[in-house]
Amino acid sequence: MQPLKDPGRPTRVAAVVTAAIMLGLIFAGPVLAQDGESPKAGLLQAALVGLGYYLSNSPWLAGNGGFFGLYRPLVAGLIVGIIFGDPVKGAQIGAAINLLYIGFISAGGSIPADPSVAGWVGTALALAGGLDAQSAISLGLAVGLLGTIIFFTRMSVDAVFAHWADARAEVGDIGGVARMNWLPPQVFLFIITFFPATIAVYLGAGVVSDAITWLNTNAPWVLRGFQIAGGLLPAIGIAMNMRFIFRGTVIPYFFIGYLISVASAGAVNIVAVAIIGAALAVLHVTFLGARPMQPRGAEA
Amino acid sequence: MTDMVDQTVTTTPAEPAVSLTRADVQRSFWLWTFFSHANYNYERLQGTAFAHAMTPIIRKLYKTPDEITAALRRHLVFFNTEPNVGGVIHGAVIAMEEQRANGADIDDETINGVKSGLMGPLAGVGDTIDQGTITPILLSIGIGLAAGPTAAFGDGNPIGAILYLVAEVAVMTSLAYFFWFQGYDRGREGVTALLRSGALDRLVVGAGALGNLVLGALAFQFVHVYVTLTLIVGDGHFELNELLGQIMPGLLPLLFTLMTWWLLTRRRVSAIWLLVAYLVIAMVGAFPFFAGSAVDPTTQCPSILHEFYQPDCIPPPPAPTP
Repeated sequence: MQPLKDPGRPTRVAAVVTAAIMLGLIFAGPVLAQDGESPKAGLLQAALVGLGYYLSNSPWLAGNGGFFGLYRPLVAGLIVGIIFGDPVKGAQIGAAINLLYIGFISAGGSIPADPSVAGWVGTALALAGGLDAQSAISLGLAVGLLGTIIFFTRMSVDAVFAHWADARAEVGDIGGVARMNWLPPQVFLFIITFFPATIAVYLGAGVVSDAITWLNTNAPWVLRGFQIAGGLLPAIGIAMNMRFIFRGTVIPYFFIGYLISVASAGAVNIVAVAIIGAALAVLHVTFLGARPMQPRGAEA
Repeated sequence: MTDMVDQTVTTTPAEPAVSLTRADVQRSFWLWTFFSHANYNYERLQGTAFAHAMTPIIRKLYKTPDEITAALRRHLVFFNTEPNVGGVIHGAVIAMEEQRANGADIDDETINGVKSGLMGPLAGVGDTIDQGTITPILLSIGIGLAAGPTAAFGDGNPIGAILYLVAEVAVMTSLAYFFWFQGYDRGREGVTALLRSGALDRLVVGAGALGNLVLGALAFQFVHVYVTLTLIVGDGHFELNELLGQIMPGLLPLLFTLMTWWLLTRRRVSAIWLLVAYLVIAMVGAFPFFAGSAVDPTTQCPSILHEFYQPDCIPPPPAPTP
């Protein structure tokens, strides 16, 4: 039985700090807006992003289309790009943000950050602010930390509906138990996901783009810092995944993969690398078997 | 007529009185696939979802209010596993409920024991397979295609996102379907045998080899670390970054990634602190200590850490060794 994990101090501290910065930006927005004319998100666009964020957490696309699909910034970025009329840029930004969450694992009812809100809201804000993909990673990081608040609210409140299901079970109401599993939780989930995300995009788009314009003229080094961070932060996402697979006899493949790219200066693209990897995986399992790499759970 | 039917049932217990059709088990599978996390909560986790998935089974197997209430209660308890691979538990439990409804001696403890005994191990194996290997591999491919533009990899291609979505849904759903029916067809003994057989271990190791290779390529594509320190020895100027590149092209990003892994795994540093620390390092690196703050960022490099692909600010990219 997995222990139920508390959000943890780092998450809470970081979420509070980001919330303060975001709120500060919203209040500072009118001051930062110098030209007054900046690309903003329409209400419909913002609502579509909010809807997408809700759907990614909902059961309506099944776990595999939701949690394994729309929940990922890569997919969310493409759709947000379509909503804002630039699918290529959207997918680029989504992919860049997704680098942070490539090793994302939700286990035992705990998430270290919320990739979905980073993908949906983060991409929308980055598009509105005209950020390049590499700089958008920092924005996605900040928004993703905020999203954990929504997750923990949901996990706490939903326990109530389990007791409503108990009550239906006592009277032998099969349909009632089924309904308690989806109807009240989904109404609640819609309220706590759709509205915050919509408001964040609708109000935030202008604020973020104003803030970036202001930084561009007054403190360009901050934007440069975002770009540098865009080169450092992916190491964390990759290392998070390495916690799971960088072990035992398969460790050398990491170096082989890296060196294939170095030696070809990146000319061997990722699909080709994956095909080489599949071939090596078959050889490895055939000749070495499963023996030396111990599969372990989320608590690596 | 009804009397006769009842009599045959009681006299020949070997003949199943109520049996589930393939469609019932499939209906249960789809309910779980869709609603496994609909009411995810700290108290029961997937508890109510398990009961939800069992509703077609309970409806078919049990007729009296007491039996129905008992069955619903039985499946409303705490439950948490990985939803795709873990479906093997549901399959086995459905098989047990079917036997129980037909008079087999299976009590609540046995069913609860199977659920609570298997959910932990299968959460571990399942998370390793689904979230730890298959998803990152497919994500790496999708990200590698969709991201860009980078100096080395050219323009981004949004097909990467679509490719990921289609492949992920197809792989995960077929995996879940396979495990669900493995559980139902083989029963609880079969599940234990499957766990012991080592087939899952081979899958984990094979996927681990593939995953590592792809992850290595991804690290080269996206981790960019530069130092712009210049060593002045006599009349000669040596760019530190160039010197490191001569030892091995791409050495610095590789070491940086390995250091991050070491900090996370061996030193158990929280990922959140690490994210914040790297952001601060980047900001400090970008702060113009060595030049006025009014420098145009597109033409000058007043930082101790370079970024990658600004035209006039590029250290030479790692050249392939001839």
